[in-house]
This record gives sequence, C-alpha cells and structure tokens, in this order.
Amino acid sequence: MDFDLTKEQEMIRKEVRNFAQKEIAPIAGELDEKEEFSEKLTRKMGEIGLFGMFVSEDYEGQAMDYISYIIAVEEIARVDGSQAATIAAGNSLGIGPIFYFGTEEQKQKYLPKLCAGEGLWGFGLTEPTAGSDAGGSKTTAVLEGDEWVINGSKIFITNAACDLTMGVTVQAITGTRDNGKPEYSCILVEKGTPGFKAVPMHKKMMWRASNTAELYFDNVRVPKENILGKKGDGFHQMLQTLDGGRLSIGAMGLGGAQGGFDLALKYAKEREQFGQPISKFQAIAFKLADCAMEIECARNLLYKACWLKSNHRSFEKEAAMGKLYCSEVMSRVVDHAVQIHGGYGLMKEYNVERFYRDQKLLEIGEGTSEVQRIVISRFIGC
Amino acid sequence: MKICVCVKHVPDTAATIKLAGDTAFDDADVKFISNPYDEFGIEEAVSIVEKEGGEVVIVTIGKEAATSTIRSAMAMGAHRAIHVKTDGQFLDSTLTARALKAVMEEDGLPDLIFTGKGSVDTESFQTQYRLAKSLGLPIVNEVSTLTLEGQKAIAQREIGGGEKQVLELGLPCVIGATKGLNEPRYPKFPDIMKAKKKEIKEMALSELGINEADAKVTMEKMEAVPERSGAKMIEGSVDDQVTELVRILKEEEKVI
Repeated sequence: MDFDLTKEQEMIRKEVRNFAQKEIAPIAGELDEKEEFSEKLTRKMGEIGLFGMFVSEDYEGQAMDYISYIIAVEEIARVDGSQAATIAAGNSLGIGPIFYFGTEEQKQKYLPKLCAGEGLWGFGLTEPTAGSDAGGSKTTAVLEGDEWVINGSKIFITNAACDLTMGVTVQAITGTRDNGKPEYSCILVEKGTPGFKAVPMHKKMMWRASNTAELYFDNVRVPKENILGKKGDGFHQMLQTLDGGRLSIGAMGLGGAQGGFDLALKYAKEREQFGQPISKFQAIAFKLADCAMEIECARNLLYKACWLKSNHRSFEKEAAMGKLYCSEVMSRVVDHAVQIHGGYGLMKEYNVERFYRDQKLLEIGEGTSEVQRIVISRFIGC
Repeated sequence: MKICVCVKHVPDTAATIKLAGDTAFDDADVKFISNPYDEFGIEEAVSIVEKEGGEVVIVTIGKEAATSTIRSAMAMGAHRAIHVKTDGQFLDSTLTARALKAVMEEDGLPDLIFTGKGSVDTESFQTQYRLAKSLGLPIVNEVSTLTLEGQKAIAQREIGGGEKQVLELGLPCVIGATKGLNEPRYPKFPDIMKAKKKEIKEMALSELGINEADAKVTMEKMEAVPERSGAKMIEGSVDDQVTELVRILKEEEKVI
C-alpha cells in the first residue's frame, strides 16, 4: 500500500495553496460580504489551469489525474468555499458532461474556452419542484423538424448567469420510455438563444461569491445537433456526472474542514484565558484532536474514491461515502471551530464565521446527505 | 541569451522553527520555499528569454530536498537546472559563491546572472558580491527595474528617500533582484507536469573540489530570539521617576 502522493500531485498542492493564499484569501471576505462573483479572479484561476484539469490536451485541458483535480479543489476550499464552488462546478458539471459525452464538434467548439477559464458552463438539472426526486422534473424538449424546442425552468444552477457564462446543459424530457416512465436527454443551450433567460439568485446564506442562477426556457429553439450523446441518455449522463461531482463536493468538505481546523488551532494557541493558551485546556485540546482525526479519515476515504476512479474501478459507493462523510466532518469541525473562537467566532471579522455558513450547502447540494445514505444503503444490499 | 539564476531553498519565514541541538533546527514540519527574492530573478530571466530566445539555467546549492524548489522554478519556465548537493541547510557565503562560480565555469559562462538581493534565512547579503568578484563581473544589488540594450544592462535601484540610482553595466553582469522588478507568475499546471521531464544535473560539492570544512564562517550556536519582556512603568512625581530610572539603569541593568 502506498499513501504517498506523486511529486506532481505534491507540487499541485503547493502551487494551488500558494495561489489561494495570495490571490483569494485577501479578498474572500469582502466578496462574500458584497455577494459578488469576481470575473477577474475566475480568469486568474483559469490562467493557472484550474479549469479542465482532467480534460486531455486535445481540447486544451490540463490532462491531469483525478486526484490532482481533487487536491486543487481541496486547497481552494481551505481558503474559500465560493471560489472552490466555481472551480468544482466548472469542472465537474460544466466541462465534465461535454468532455465525457459530447461529439468531437461540440468538444472542439466549447472546451478550449472553458478550459482556459474564459468561459463558464452551467448544468441544469434541479427544478423548482424536482430536487432529490430528479425524476419529477417537468422541463421538456420536443423535436420539431431540425430543432429542439425547450420549455421549462431550472433552479440553483451554478456558474449559469454571469458575464463569463457561455451556455448551459439542460436535462429535459424528450419522450416516454417503454416502461411508461419519462425519457430524458441533455441538450446544450448557448447564452443568447431567444427565449432562454438566466437570472442570478441573491440573498444566499453561503457561497455568496459564487454565481447561482434560475433558468427559464420559453420556446427555446436549438439545432438538433445540440443534443449531448444519444436521445434518451440524459438520465445516465446525469447519474455519471453526479458521481464525479460528489468527489469534488467531498473535496470542498475536506478542504473546508481543514481550513476551519487551521483557524481554530491557530486561535486556540494564541488566545489566553486563566493565564495560558486555551489550546492547553483539555476541553479545547480534545475538540481539536477529534477534528484532526476526522479530517485524516475524511482525506483517506476521499482519496481512495478518487484512486478507484483513476484506476477505472467502480467508485460510486465510495464517492457517495466520501461526499457524505467529508461534508459532515466539515459540519462538525466548523462547529467546534466557532465554539473555540467564542464570541469572536460569531463576528464577520473572523473568517471562521464564513466557513460555518459555507458548510451547510455541502449537506444539501449534489445529492443531500439523505440521498447519499440511500445510495450507500443500496450498495450494501439493504 | 543564456541566463543563470541562483536559487536558494529556504524555510518559509512564516514557519515555526524549533531548534534541534546547538546549530540546527528540526525541519520535519517546516515548509520550505524558493527564496522570495530569487523568484523575481527567475521571472525576469524567463520573460527576457521568452522575448529574446535562449535558455534559463537554475543553479541551486542546497540539500537534497531543494529539488522541490528547483521544480517550481522549472514550472515557471526555466529550461534546466544544476543542483549541487550539500549535507545541511547552511553553507557560508564564500563556499556558496565558489560553488556557483565552479558550476558556471563548467557549464559555460552565462550572458547574465540573477540572484536575489539576499536570502531570507541567513540574510548575509554576500554571496552575489563574492560571486561577481570571483568571476570579475560588475554587480548591482537590489535592482527594481531592469532593461537590456544590446550588450548593456540598465539597472535601477532605490537608495532611500524616494531617490533612484540608475546604473549602466556591460554584459555579462550579476543582478541582485528585489521586489518591484516584476510580479512572479504562478506556474500553470501543464508546465508543472512538463517540469518533471526537464533536466536536473546533480553533483556533490566535493566534485567541484570544495570541502565544507573550508568554510570561512562556522555556525557556533543557534538561539531563539528572546521574547521581549514587558515595559515597566515608573510611578510618582517627575523627580521620583528620574531618581528611580537612574537607580535601575545603574544598579539593575548596570548600563551607566
């Protein structure tokens, strides 16, 4: 058994950490406070190669292994959840489906710009009335001549309504299967297509510097060729995309937990009460010891899931476990971290407050904790 | 144009240093980085070569682990590297300069040499001067603006009070880089991958005929900087305060 990362993976970690500390840390609090998505910062992240990390060089991707991608997300999340969201959604949900299921023409058309961070792409799955019950979605696409005509709406779609957005992949009902259930397909819709509207969502509790959108499709017509893969593949494509996406959400939980722990440990060593640093009190030291242990477990679980994926083994169960465990570890760690900060942990001047808020999404987005437990329980034969 | 950049592998100034024995520190949990001033040199060299062609060669005198710093420099765009290995972190400026000179003479003298204005660990600020002297080259340290015109280098350095000194040097020369010269780039991921395939020539200090025992400076002792004790307030009338102050200076501190 070899727990060592490769030299390149170590270097990716070092360089991304350096970038995150110098470029993101100084402005993360302000962007969060203003609820501002930064195009400039997104472009900078694109310049060093944070988009298209697992995409081959044929489409100007960075051609790296999946663990490197996960390490990069982890290191960004260690500093700021919002920017990690832009990266994780950009790669796993925006770029991923086009790279894995797109035609050569679609890949050549969209991937180079997306991999350079000069454009973003949304993945429209969740609907106002269809969350965990993805089968309950209502958006439809009907083939009329050489065009798909799309009607419906989507909600909570990351990276879908900013100036950098180039378009979205939308999952829609395109017919009925033999068993009477709806047939789904994914269709690419470019920004600016008549009838397609993307509206930014505000007043979020967390990920306030990431871009979230509501999408409206009102008789949107796109060429027949805009379908992703084959007609009827949509459900499968969505499941596969979410399996990979879970690893990146896991990385956000792991990185966020590490970031919250770093803040708590530093504070506990500096803060003195009753004549000594509070880290010397067992009540605090034990909390920190538990955090360190859980983060270690979370990292091992998540990296193993990535290793399985990289080695083309079945990884779906471990991905669900990694997503669930990492997000819940972050929940416990940031809870301790705020407690250790005492009253200061409740103030925006202290970054730990942002970590506390950003955590909550991870137990809800890309499959709630409950859905992950359903997935795991099916794998173990319940 | 061939440019050599001398890069040192140093502990991060933000790291917590724990002493181990009299003359060493425990480096197990200490993060090491490229000497930040050397990074300005790497950036400048790489951008010159991007414009004018040629190659950038990194020269590092340091322990085995310095490879990570060398790879970072290569990911920024340097073409190849020479790593002279030492046993420990500290080698005095005389021997470091001698090793740099020997390497450059063996590899073929460059048209331009960059160093940092100093290293953030030992802060001796000597190596670049010793190197320039031994090669018989002109040197300017703390350069914040540099332009090349044919066989000349025009270097600007701040000399305090908002004044700048502009110096003209013939090539080859040694430039000690500092903040302001440029903004060092972040390596792009594909370049990190390519960096692993670039050549690092490794050699021992002894292969250059240098013996660590010949150092002119030896480390006697390493000590933590003592924590400053709190200020003591003297109360009372002005006369009483002065009398007490003089008494403390004479009797307790024994400085007058």
